[in-house]
Amino acid sequence: MIITRRNFLKYSGATTLAITLGSAFTWHGTQVAYAADAAFAHVLNRTTWGFRPQDLKTIKALGIEGFIEQQLNPESIADPVVDAFMARQEYMNLDIKTLSELGADPLKYYYMDIELVWARIFRAAYSERSLHELMVEFWSDHFNVPVGDSVTAKIVYDRDAIRAHALGNFRELLFATARSAAMMYYLSNYLSYAAHPNENYARELMELHTIGVNGGYTETDVKEVARAFTGWTVDYGTHYDYYFEPSAHDYEEKIVLGHTLAAGRGVEDGEEVLNILASHPATANFVCRKLVRRFVSDDPPASLVASAANVFIATDGDIRAVMRHILTSSEFMASQGQKFRRPLDVLVAMLRVTQPKFDDTLFPRYWLDLMGHVPYYWGPPNGYPEPKRAWLNTNGMLHRWNTALSVAGGAVKNYEGVHYNINKVMPVKGSADVMVKKLIEQVLGGTIDEQDKQQLVALLRKPKKKVQRALVLGLLMASPYFQWR
Amino acid sequence: MQTIARREFFGLMKSAGALGISRALFPSWFPRVALRADKSAPPGDILVVVFQRGGMDGLNAVVPYGDGALYYDRRPTLAIPAPNGGDNAALDLDGHFGLHPALRPLKEIYDAGQLAVIHAAGSPDETRSHFAAMELMERGAQGVGGVGWINRHLQTTAWQNESPFRAVGMGTLIQGSLQGPIPAFALQSIAEFHLKGRENQLATIQHTLSNLYSIQAPGDDVDRQAAQVFATMDTMSQLAGQGYTPAHGAVYPETSFGMGLLQIAQLIKAEIGVEVACVDIGGWDTHELQGGAQGEMANVLADFAKGLGAFNTDLGERMRDITVVTMSEFGRRVEQNASDGTDHGHANAMFVFGGGVNGGIHTDWPTLEEHRLDNGDLALTTDYRDVLSEIISARLLNPALDQIFPNYTPTLRGIVRAR
Repeated sequence: MIITRRNFLKYSGATTLAITLGSAFTWHGTQVAYAADAAFAHVLNRTTWGFRPQDLKTIKALGIEGFIEQQLNPESIADPVVDAFMARQEYMNLDIKTLSELGADPLKYYYMDIELVWARIFRAAYSERSLHELMVEFWSDHFNVPVGDSVTAKIVYDRDAIRAHALGNFRELLFATARSAAMMYYLSNYLSYAAHPNENYARELMELHTIGVNGGYTETDVKEVARAFTGWTVDYGTHYDYYFEPSAHDYEEKIVLGHTLAAGRGVEDGEEVLNILASHPATANFVCRKLVRRFVSDDPPASLVASAANVFIATDGDIRAVMRHILTSSEFMASQGQKFRRPLDVLVAMLRVTQPKFDDTLFPRYWLDLMGHVPYYWGPPNGYPEPKRAWLNTNGMLHRWNTALSVAGGAVKNYEGVHYNINKVMPVKGSADVMVKKLIEQVLGGTIDEQDKQQLVALLRKPKKKVQRALVLGLLMASPYFQWR
Repeated sequence: MQTIARREFFGLMKSAGALGISRALFPSWFPRVALRADKSAPPGDILVVVFQRGGMDGLNAVVPYGDGALYYDRRPTLAIPAPNGGDNAALDLDGHFGLHPALRPLKEIYDAGQLAVIHAAGSPDETRSHFAAMELMERGAQGVGGVGWINRHLQTTAWQNESPFRAVGMGTLIQGSLQGPIPAFALQSIAEFHLKGRENQLATIQHTLSNLYSIQAPGDDVDRQAAQVFATMDTMSQLAGQGYTPAHGAVYPETSFGMGLLQIAQLIKAEIGVEVACVDIGGWDTHELQGGAQGEMANVLADFAKGLGAFNTDLGERMRDITVVTMSEFGRRVEQNASDGTDHGHANAMFVFGGGVNGGIHTDWPTLEEHRLDNGDLALTTDYRDVLSEIISARLLNPALDQIFPNYTPTLRGIVRAR
């Protein structure tokens, strides 16, 4: 039975519909069964960083469309925990000049790195603006700039380019990344001069940021775009920010993707190239394909990529409109359980379950390092890979388990590094069977195979003992059920 | 620039006493992998594949100083001086080419007659995209889906090798060349490759996880990876417990590349069925401030050469049955750019060393004459598949080249000797 989007959303609170929808789901791996709340849990798994019981209440009250609409408007959502956290940060709120001057001290520079990475993890876990945080992650990979070249520039890039435009307009986002010290450093454009222009930014701008490797550009286009961007640089030592240096620019005529850029112009050359690329249909297609891959399936349905690209073109790259289209599509609704969590997804979901305190924020970072997914530490310009096949291997599997067991261990007194209150996650109430059932509902928003559940129940011989409950929670977060979203 | 040293992480974790990091336990129900007896072990060499990600500048690694002004005039601030005995000059190979001075450890292997330098080599595809070029090179052919050339080699061997360590990929992601139906073992750290939990819970943890992932009858690829973890954890814990001291005074650099090679050496010496191992080294995308005899690229070359030199020293006699090959997705432009760097180019240099290698320079050198360049880049005269085909057939003893590199007929160039 085919369910249209409108139909689906209209009845999204109704039990019958969720059950009907069940038959259309593609099941992958060992999956959670969601019964009546299937659609709610699915939407929460994809538009937040992991199921939380309080979000289930919200989505039931607002309905699916209402919840998605709220998440699409993050400025409408109060975020007191994150606001308080950000107010406590030493470096995250400073301007690029102040950061650059402070960063001359190697110890401060080092702490900036620690703070930036921890702030990324913290906001993913605790922000109520979950979808915004997911978009920040998506664009951070799409316009990847690792911290390695300049932490100071990266802090500003993350805040003023990526976060400011994550649900805004693609053209403005593209311009913000181009006019950033971080990007100019990372892709070498800050040292590009008319005599022998540097091609690094020019190539990745087309291949990775806009039209894609098959978007129809030639090696000549790369060279011409490089000429157009000569002079886009950083005034290191004064404002430490992006600026246009007229004396480095190539003023001759250029031809880019069939467009002639007239001779004698300055910064307008690069701006016109960005405009050509932002309006190019290949950009809409390339970006939408990646969005659908991230939010729907590793095998993006061609129908959805095409319709999302149409929205992208019609709205001149309104990211919010494109995301609204994707998240309320029938393809999205039918894609339950098709996404394998990346290591950061897994860790953050564990933090949302346990809400731990760390003795040192290097602990979560250490676990991500073992799994190969420390935020902002991917070197090449293409960003961390997305699909399951990239992440599913022996090293990653083992360290997913170890992370789960390490986090869960923090329930016990005298455990070093991480601490949380397991009574909040798994109160002692009723039989072992009931306790495990409630835990599974709270952590996964559904039920699991009965035999698997009994494996966990059997471990709870003395439910009052925190060490036994911590083991059950650790194994549940290490189980295959927890690896999907 | 500052990064957080891995050592710091490990120091931090050692302080976490209550975490109870301990060796895994192995109850009687635990499925064990029976390694095949020596007599049915793979008959050929062990292959180690090094991928230099980012596009190595082959013209500064293996310097064509004999091309004179054609090289020096195009690289006014980057060129490596012709051999003159000085520390910043090229190390002469044959009167025309010289190694970058940071490659001295490779020069020693060259002088022992066990290093082949193949110049103007690489992938014939014209793409200058890192990602398209790497993917194509690691697949080894168009239209082979997500299957890499090494995986096709392992699929087509006449022998069987049931070891879960048959194919090893160092790092947190599996190399494209290893991907495919034959499972590869992804390993970042032998010392870390064990379950972490309370000592008295480890048996329970193993038992429960192996049931939750149905490892006796894996239902999907996630279960299969879990089963692979259980099949390898035992051995890794034993190796970690034994510790490892490189032989013959070999000293590996304390970098991820150096530690990757050290662990490959450790796995090979443990005789647990390793046939192929892959390791990556990054830092080659030298668009700016590349430096000459000193500088950024020199540092990466030093890491590369010290690591490979240590590996060669460490393995000693065992190198008779090992072949190491290096490659990169493309070379770099002959002419330097305005940022004292080099942009993406075409042909490159490859290195092959081991007991069965015919040492020396192997090249059909196209020269740097303007009319011989390919869009300003070094022209390609040796397809990298020629080099690999010869290694696979003559050293690994697998004749199925038409399946490993479909629609390609390799030219054999005498880089290695038949076993």
